[in-house]
Amino acid sequence: MYLSLNWVKDWLKLPKDASPKDLALALTMSTVEVEELIDQSAALENIIVGKVEEIAKHPNADKLQVCQVNIGLSTEQIVCGGTNLSKGILVALALPGAKVKWHGQGDYVQLDRTKIRGIESQGMIAAADEIGLETLFPSFESGEILILSGTKIKPGQSLAEALELNDQIIDIDNKSINHRPDLWGQYGLARELAAIYKLKLAPYKTPEIKSKNELKLKAVVEDKENCFRYQALAIKNISVAESPWWLKNRLAAVGIRPINNIVDVSNYLMYELGQPLHAFDAKEISGHKIIVKQAQKGDKFVSLDGQSRKLPAGALMIADKDKYVALAGIIGGQNSEISDQTKDIILESANFRAVNIRRTSSALGLRTESSSRFEKSLDPLLTQLAIKRAAELILSLCPEAYVASDLLDIDNNPFKAISIEVEEDLINRRCGQIIQTAEIKSILKRLEFDFRYQHKTFYIQVPSWRATKDLSIAEDIVEEIARIYGYNNIDPKLPLVSLEKPMVDIALYTERELVKWLALSQGYHQLMTYPFSDQSWIKKMELDLSDHVKVKNALSPEQTYLNLSLLPNLFKKAQENLRWFDNFKIFELERVFDKKNKGVFHSDASRKKFLPRQDKRLSGLELSQKNQEEVFLSVKGLLEALLEKLNIEYELAEQKLPYGRFAYQINTQELALGQFGILDENLLVKENKAKVNVAFWDLDFALLVKYLSWSKKHKALPKFPAVYRDMAVIVSSQTAWRDLEKEIKKINPLIRQLEPFDVFAGQGIEPGKKSVAFHLEFRSDERTLLAEDIDKIMAEILAILVKKFEAKLR
Amino acid sequence: MEEDLKKIKDKLVQEIKDVSDSQFLAQLKTKYLGRKSELARFLKEVKNLAEEERPRAGQLVNEVKKELGDIFASLEKAVKEKKAAAETDFDPTMPGRRNAVGHLHPSTIVQYEVEEAFKQMGFMVYDGPQLESDYYNFTALNTPADHPARDSQDTFWLEGGWLLRSQTSNLQVRMLEKYGAPFRGIFPGRVFRNEATDASHEHTFYQLEGLMVDKDINIGNLIATMQAFLSLVFSKDVAVRLRPGFFPFVEPGFEMDIKCLICDGAGCSVCKQSGWLELMPCGLVHPEVLKAGGIDPANYSGFAFGLGLTRLVMMKYRINDIRLLSSGDLRFLKQF
Repeated sequence: MYLSLNWVKDWLKLPKDASPKDLALALTMSTVEVEELIDQSAALENIIVGKVEEIAKHPNADKLQVCQVNIGLSTEQIVCGGTNLSKGILVALALPGAKVKWHGQGDYVQLDRTKIRGIESQGMIAAADEIGLETLFPSFESGEILILSGTKIKPGQSLAEALELNDQIIDIDNKSINHRPDLWGQYGLARELAAIYKLKLAPYKTPEIKSKNELKLKAVVEDKENCFRYQALAIKNISVAESPWWLKNRLAAVGIRPINNIVDVSNYLMYELGQPLHAFDAKEISGHKIIVKQAQKGDKFVSLDGQSRKLPAGALMIADKDKYVALAGIIGGQNSEISDQTKDIILESANFRAVNIRRTSSALGLRTESSSRFEKSLDPLLTQLAIKRAAELILSLCPEAYVASDLLDIDNNPFKAISIEVEEDLINRRCGQIIQTAEIKSILKRLEFDFRYQHKTFYIQVPSWRATKDLSIAEDIVEEIARIYGYNNIDPKLPLVSLEKPMVDIALYTERELVKWLALSQGYHQLMTYPFSDQSWIKKMELDLSDHVKVKNALSPEQTYLNLSLLPNLFKKAQENLRWFDNFKIFELERVFDKKNKGVFHSDASRKKFLPRQDKRLSGLELSQKNQEEVFLSVKGLLEALLEKLNIEYELAEQKLPYGRFAYQINTQELALGQFGILDENLLVKENKAKVNVAFWDLDFALLVKYLSWSKKHKALPKFPAVYRDMAVIVSSQTAWRDLEKEIKKINPLIRQLEPFDVFAGQGIEPGKKSVAFHLEFRSDERTLLAEDIDKIMAEILAILVKKFEAKLR
Repeated sequence: MEEDLKKIKDKLVQEIKDVSDSQFLAQLKTKYLGRKSELARFLKEVKNLAEEERPRAGQLVNEVKKELGDIFASLEKAVKEKKAAAETDFDPTMPGRRNAVGHLHPSTIVQYEVEEAFKQMGFMVYDGPQLESDYYNFTALNTPADHPARDSQDTFWLEGGWLLRSQTSNLQVRMLEKYGAPFRGIFPGRVFRNEATDASHEHTFYQLEGLMVDKDINIGNLIATMQAFLSLVFSKDVAVRLRPGFFPFVEPGFEMDIKCLICDGAGCSVCKQSGWLELMPCGLVHPEVLKAGGIDPANYSGFAFGLGLTRLVMMKYRINDIRLLSSGDLRFLKQF
C-alpha cells in the first residue's frame, strides 16, 4: 500500500519541520511498517524534456538515427533507435547521471556519455519503461520511445516538473495493515498522521446527490448473512475517456495504472477511502434490478479478465435476473464491463462479509485489490461516502452526465456500536508507567474516539472504522494509547517477581549433556537436517512408507514423508560429504514421527486425544576408509561408553537388518533401546566407486531418558595393590572373545579386569587358529596377593581354556 | 689488593664471554676458582696480613669468590640448556597435533547462549511437539480458522488433520495449562513454513519462544528483559526499539528491532540503510490466550516473544545463505 504525501494534503497540512523520512519513521514507530520511501522527482533526476529538431540516419547502423535535440539553452546530439521518432516531438531525454533501466529490464544503472557505433551521444531518449513511467504511460509498443504532449511542456524543463511528478510516496508493508481495515486508503493514513503529529484533519466531505430520478434502480439482497450493505446509483450520459492528468498522476503515485475515467474514479476511491467500487454498464443489467445471492457449486462465471471460472459453493454473486454480473467484492463480469461505448452506468458501493470474500478468493486462487480490502472487514459506513464522492467526480469529469436514480441503500450492517470501558489504572499498569490523564485524553481525541472520563475510567465509543474487528477489548485501547504516546517513551524496567523453586527437566538436561559430549569429546559433528526423509534412502533401508506421516501440501515429491528415523537423512548427508572427506563422524538428535502410535502430547483442551508419537532419537554414523572392524568397534565403544555414562544396563542381541551387517539390537528391560551395525557396503559408495566403511547407530532418546540415572556413588580406593599379568593363547579362529571372557571371569572373583590387547593370525600360527593375548588384573579387598595366588589362578585359567576351547598357551 | 681482585674478575668476564663449550668452561673454572688459582693465592695471603686488616681482606676475597662462583653457575646452566636443546630430535615449531574434534551446530551454540542468559533470569527451558494440532498452533492463540493471520504463515498440513508447527508459540497455551501462573519459560525449537527455499528463506528453521506471566507484567518489563538478554548474547549494550506489529496472540503487539550491529545505526546494506534490524515479534499476552491456558486475565498479565534463532545465528556469524545451516556440509559445520 502506497501513501502519497501529496494526496493527504487534501485534508491536512503536513508539519514543516518533518521531512518525508521523518514522517515515514513516525508511521513506523506508531502505526505500520514502512518498506521504503520513494521520491518521484529524485528518480527522474537528470531527465529533461527535449524537442527533436533534426533526424539523420546513423552512418554505421541501420536501426539507429542521429537526432539533434533542443533542450532549451542548447542542442544536443543523441543516437536513438526509437521506432516512433519524428521531427518536432517532445521526448524525455536522459542525460549523463540519470538512472535508467536498459530496455525496461533489470536494475537501474547510471547513464554515461558514450559513443554508439562511432557517433557521440550526449544522452538517451527514453522509453516509458526505461525511466519507471510505464504505469503512467502504459500504451507503448516495444521499441517505442515516450512522446510527451501538453501545452505547458517546454524543452529544457525537468521531466519531473513537466509531468508534475513531485510526490513523496511511503511504501507500506501490506502485512502490517492486515488488521487495520481503515488504513487501506489515503484518508485513514492521513488520520494516523494527524494523530501522531497533532494535526488538524479536515472531515471527509461528500456532496448531496441530486437525482433526475428517471431510472428506477432495484436490488434484492438474498444473502443478508454475507452482504452487509448494498448501495447503488445510476448515472446516465457519461462519456468514457482518458482521465485528466491530475487523476492519472495520483493513481500512478499509488501504483495503479490509469485505464479510463470511470474505472479510474472507482480505483481512486478505493485508494482514497479503501472502499472498492464497481461500475456496471447499465444496459447489461436486466431490468436494472440487482440480486445478491450465493452461487451454486460448479456454476461458471467469466470475469472481466476474460477467464472462465468454476465457482465454489457459497461464493457471493452479484446477479440480475438472468445471469451473474460480478463475483461480489472480488472481480466484475465480462458481460457487464464498461466499454468505450458505455453511456449509462450503475455504480455499486457495497460491503460484504470478510470471511466469505476470503474463502471464495482463496478457493479461486484469485486475489484482487478489492478482495484484499474486503477480507479485512471494511466499515459499512464507508459505502455511502465513497459512492457520493465517486458520483461527484464522474459528474465533474463528464459534464454531460447526470445522476438518474435515487441512491439505493440496503443496509444489513451487523456491527454493533462498540463501547469499551478502560480503567486508567490498567493503561498505566500495562505500560509500566504513569501516562498523564490529559495525555490519554488528547490521544483519544486525536484518534477521533468519542469518550467520557469518569471515576478514573474511560468510557470509549469505538469509531465505526475501527469497530469491525480491530478494537474490542480494553487491551486494544492500551495499545492505541501506548503506540501514539510512543513505545520509546516507556522506561525499561526488569520485572520484580518472587523467587521460584528450581526444576530440572531431565530430558533436556541429558540432551544438552550428550550433544556436548559427542561433539566436544567424541569427535562427532552435529547435523540438523530436514524433517522430511530422503525417499531413496527409505527405499534402500526397506522402511515401510505407510508408517510415515505424509505431508498433504508438500513442496516437492522428495519432501513428502516425515522422518520415522534419522538415519535416511544422515546417510544422505554422509554420501554428500564424501566428496570432501574420507573419515568423519556425524550425529543428529531430533524428533521423528510415528504415524501408527499414540504419543504423550494431547491435541486439544479436553486433553483426552493425543498427537502421534514423536519421540526424539539420537543417531549417528562413523565413516572410515580403513576397514569395517575399525568403524564397528569404534561405534560399539561409543555406545558402551554412553550407556555406562548413563548407568543403563543392557544386552546386545544379534539382529537381521535389510541394510546392515553385524547388526545388533540394544535391549534394556526387554525394550529396544536402539541398534547399531555396519551399513551394507553396496548402499553407500564414493562417486569414484571406492569402498567406504560405514557404521551406524540409532538410539531411542526417550527410552534413554526413562532408564538413565545421572547419580553416581564413589567406590573406596583399593586398599591392597593389584597384580598384573598377561596371557596369550592360541584358539580356533572361530572362537568369540565374548565366550573366552565369560569363562575366564567365572573362574575367580579376584580377577578384576580382563582386556584383550592383541589378536592375530597368520605367520607362525597354524591355519584356522588365532592368537589372543590379554591383560589380567588381580586384586583382593582383604589382603595383598602373593605370587603363588596368582600362579594358581593363571593355571586354572589355562586349564579351563584348554578344556573348553582346546587352547594352547603361546 | 682490591684492585687486583677487580682485575681478576674483569679478566674472567672478558674470557668467558663467548664460551659455549662445557669442557672449556670447566677448565676456566679450575683456573679461576681451583686450588692453584690466583684467588686461592690471595686467600692464603690473607693469613699473612696484619691482624686488623684480615677480616676486611678475607671478606673482600670471599665476595669476589662468590661473584665468580655465580658467574660460573649461571653460565653452566645456560650451556647445559643449550646442549639439551641441541640434543632434541624434533622441530617444536611444527603445528600442534589435535585430537579429532567434533563440532556443535552453530544453531546449538547460539541456542545454548540464549538459554544461559534466560536461565540466569530464572526462566526454565521447555520442549514440546513439532507435529501439532490446529488447536495449539492457531486456535488457542486467538487465531481461529479463516483468520487472515494464518495466511502469513504458510503451514505444512499433514494427513489426519495435523500440521507441522509454524511457530514455537504452540507451546504457550500448553505450558500455561500445565504449569499455570506465575510462569517464566523459554521454548527453543524447530519450526516449519511451507515456502520455497533460497538464500534467505528456509522451510525448516529455529525459533526461541519466551513467555512470562505474572502479576502486572508490562511493556517496560518486556523491553528491559529483552535488552538484558541481548546485551549478554552480543557481549555489549544493544539498543532496541519497539514498534507496532500485529500478531493475534498478543495485545499490544510489537516488532522489536535492534540497532544494526554492522553499522551501529549509521545505515548500511545489511539494515537496508535504516540503522535497525528486525529481530523478533513480541507483545503482551492476549487475554484470550491466557484464558485458553486457564489463567484469569483479571489477575495476571504477561509478555511473549518469538526470537528467530536462525536469524540470530546468521547475524552473529555473518552467514549469508540460510541453506548452509541444514546442508550438513562439514566444510561449513567444522568452522564452529
